Amino acid sequence: MSLVKLASITKKITIAAVGAFLLLFLPMHMGLNLCILREDGGEWYRNVCHFMGTNWIVKIFEVILILSVLVHVVVAILLTIENRKARPVRYAVPSKTKTHAGSKFMIYTGGVVFAFLIIHFINFYFVKFGIVVEDDSDTYTVEVEDLQMHLNEKVALIQEEMMSGKISQEAAQEQMMALQLEYMPFLQVLQTGQPSEKISKDGEELINLTKEELVQFAGEDFKEYEPDFYTMCNKLFAQPMYSIIYLLALVILGIHLFHAINSIFQTFGLNHKKYNKAIEYLAGAYAVIVPLGFAIVPLFVMFCK
Amino acid sequence: MNLTLKIWRQENARAKGRFETYKVENISPDCSFLEMLDILNEQLVDKLSHPVCFDNDCREGICGMCGLYINGRPHGPDDGVTTCQLHMRRFKDGDTIVIEPWRARPFPIIRDLVVDRTAFDKIIQEGGYVSVTTGGVPDGNAIPIPKKNADEAMDAAACIGCGACVAACKNASAMLFVSAKVSQLALLPQGKPEAARRVQAMVAKMDELGFGNCTNTYACEAECPKQIKRSNIARMNREFMCAKVCSEE
Repeated sequence: MSLVKLASITKKITIAAVGAFLLLFLPMHMGLNLCILREDGGEWYRNVCHFMGTNWIVKIFEVILILSVLVHVVVAILLTIENRKARPVRYAVPSKTKTHAGSKFMIYTGGVVFAFLIIHFINFYFVKFGIVVEDDSDTYTVEVEDLQMHLNEKVALIQEEMMSGKISQEAAQEQMMALQLEYMPFLQVLQTGQPSEKISKDGEELINLTKEELVQFAGEDFKEYEPDFYTMCNKLFAQPMYSIIYLLALVILGIHLFHAINSIFQTFGLNHKKYNKAIEYLAGAYAVIVPLGFAIVPLFVMFCK
Repeated sequence: MNLTLKIWRQENARAKGRFETYKVENISPDCSFLEMLDILNEQLVDKLSHPVCFDNDCREGICGMCGLYINGRPHGPDDGVTTCQLHMRRFKDGDTIVIEPWRARPFPIIRDLVVDRTAFDKIIQEGGYVSVTTGGVPDGNAIPIPKKNADEAMDAAACIGCGACVAACKNASAMLFVSAKVSQLALLPQGKPEAARRVQAMVAKMDELGFGNCTNTYACEAECPKQIKRSNIARMNREFMCAKVCSEE
């Protein structure tokens, strides 16, 4: 009485294969996270985030990864429903049989990990699409001084090119005009202080900018503006509550992974006394090292910053 | 020994079951578990009430008929024995023992502690055999079989089909039972020609009958009175994959 017309072993192989693929992803994600530990003001971390957010190969894998998670979850739920149906009347005395560590709670540990994944997506992943923005509300803030420096640099560059004869005087003038036109809203807001809700009282910051306004006031250069994951990460983990939830989720993930890795080998028929011990050790090592690697980041932010 | 027994009583498959509490007194520690139930039944018959129904036959651990879920474990607290081989010395004076039938949808209750295990026969009928007529007994060593394979096949063949694996599994999965038969025949040259067809047919039947899916908890291995190993399940997974990929059947 299977819910989907697939053999039980086929379903198991599917969930194991997809799980194995997800296992490859975790150490990579961990490696990227650990870039935050470098004392370079977040240079590496921002570069990594930029690469992950823009590279097209990464984007393809992103789609495959999300589909894998969904397949894993759907098959897990299907199997659980079938398994529950196979024993309509439960035993009065709970089972006292010794079983493999973590194996009885896979659907629950998996559920916790999935719930955590949703929180994680809201906090980090969706930010990329501008659905949730780094500021308290959905807005950006830009320092006037920074923006002016940015503009001055661009003017200086044009002048330099004209002086060195790379471009003609007319072309330079044309470029200057275009630049002035592009930054007109910014210059206007500086001179007139209008619209007043977009500039802070001391006149040092442009505030309450939406993504469109950011481009409008701060120029086309901000079209590809990326949220600052480094600051965001530090801010989030500085909240003890968030870090504790994160760490707890990692413990649960470790329990899930320990049985998962053992299970993958068994499901693929790889059970042999020559290497069974090695599989146990591999699973144990992976289930400890990977969550620990992830845990270093919040612990570092909480205690070393 | 004086004991309190909480036993599942159910008139038939459709009736609603319930636990009944019985007291038995002066039980010898050397009594087997089934003999203790016999003593209880004598008392019940004396009082003109229905005896407790339970399956049993050989009472020496080789037929696979007996099978009770005792205090949260199939075949009781001992490892590697059937219920008939369990002795009362494993319990303490004054203990309360809860006795339940195997619980699984494919094993409907016939009465009290007796369940219908025809589902296992149906799975075997799908291919748990070698179809060629073998004629007379072949000469020893006429078919060369490595000792290791012969041993593993024999270990798998030790399955008595009692259903403890299904009873122990949190998913009521029959993977250990099916894999024991698949392994036994896959390891021997006589079983090879039909291996691909066999594993697919038996797994299909197992799924159809409503057994659950294996989640590698290995409760089956822990409770099997014949100590069938979980490596058989891995072998069945292997056989199944190979059959799906390589075979045309």
